[in-house]
Amino acid sequence: MKKLYALAALVSLFGLADALYLTIEHVTGQSVRCTIVSGCSEVLSSRYAVFAGVPLAMIGAAAYFSVFSLATLAAFGYRIARALLVPLVATMFLVTIWLIYLQAFVIEQFCQYCLLSAAITFVLSVILVLIYGLHRSQKSV
Amino acid sequence: MKRTLPFIIIIVVLALALGSAWYLTRAIPGSPTLGSQSPANSATSPASTAQRPPAMQGVPGAEPPHVLGPAAAPAKLEEFGDFECPPCGLFHPILKQMKEEFGDQLQVTFREYPLVPAHQHALAAASAAEAAGLQGRFWEMHDLIYEHQNDWKKEFDVRPIFEGYAKQIGLDIQRYQQDVSSDAVSQRIFMDGKRGHSMGVKGTPTVFLNGREVPFESLAPEKLRVVLQNELRNPEK
Repeated sequence: MKKLYALAALVSLFGLADALYLTIEHVTGQSVRCTIVSGCSEVLSSRYAVFAGVPLAMIGAAAYFSVFSLATLAAFGYRIARALLVPLVATMFLVTIWLIYLQAFVIEQFCQYCLLSAAITFVLSVILVLIYGLHRSQKSV
Repeated sequence: MKRTLPFIIIIVVLALALGSAWYLTRAIPGSPTLGSQSPANSATSPASTAQRPPAMQGVPGAEPPHVLGPAAAPAKLEEFGDFECPPCGLFHPILKQMKEEFGDQLQVTFREYPLVPAHQHALAAASAAEAAGLQGRFWEMHDLIYEHQNDWKKEFDVRPIFEGYAKQIGLDIQRYQQDVSSDAVSQRIFMDGKRGHSMGVKGTPTVFLNGREVPFESLAPEKLRVVLQNELRNPEK
């Protein structure tokens, strides 16, 4: 189980790097410029890229850092971190579904960096489901 | 030690993340950093003129270029644009406004930089504008394509739409239809792209003022106005 938490921490680092890159692009205004990478400028300059005045990428970076911190603590046996990790990743999963919907049906453009972030969140969700399954099987034994 | 190790790891990762973010925002030329002056303010400061990067020459683009304004204008602005790019569409009225405000002091050159394959109709739009240019109506077509960007960008076939614009501006349609897929038009787009590459253009709109790139965040009207005023006050060649 500890290895799975460590894996979650490692995976969240990729998410943190991706979200940080998008945050920097947003803060410096580079994301608004069109590039050869299809769809990113349309997605990142849309009104959905900002929530309550804060770039969504920055919120994503904070979320990935929180996952990293909690998964690291969980790997070292902190129970409270294990309990907090589940609702955090579940929220990220739901937000990711919503963001994919926005890209597919509202903005009608996909940004590869946003899709990478979505893939990372899905991987994190799978890891947590595996942990939950292991936890249940250990309990039943 | 085992109790504190996870916290040490977390703090190290946080420090690395914040440090790399700080470094990368500093590394992008002209990008605002936390607590720094706004680009508009920095453009007016005497120190900024002393630190200005050297003017870019680049390889020649399509000849003759599409130019608005006199060759003797002290401020020469060169835009690399993609007709399908939304920020280019937003920049179009800003540049028009600046041209009206600065008149003969500002010369504007447009260079084709269609982002293929990111924008499926960008090349067709560039070809339509260049074909109009062969009949001396580049700017009329340029304006129509930008102003109606939202009308055509999601269409499947844009050729009839651009032909409609060609009729609207009074082009010889038969000649336009021949020109739009001609080598002359393709060559012009290729040459502009080549020039853009040589000047380090990576996205659109990219704007150079007297050969120096204007930071993207300075393209808002109130900031671009200050940049132009500053250039006219300090016409460093």
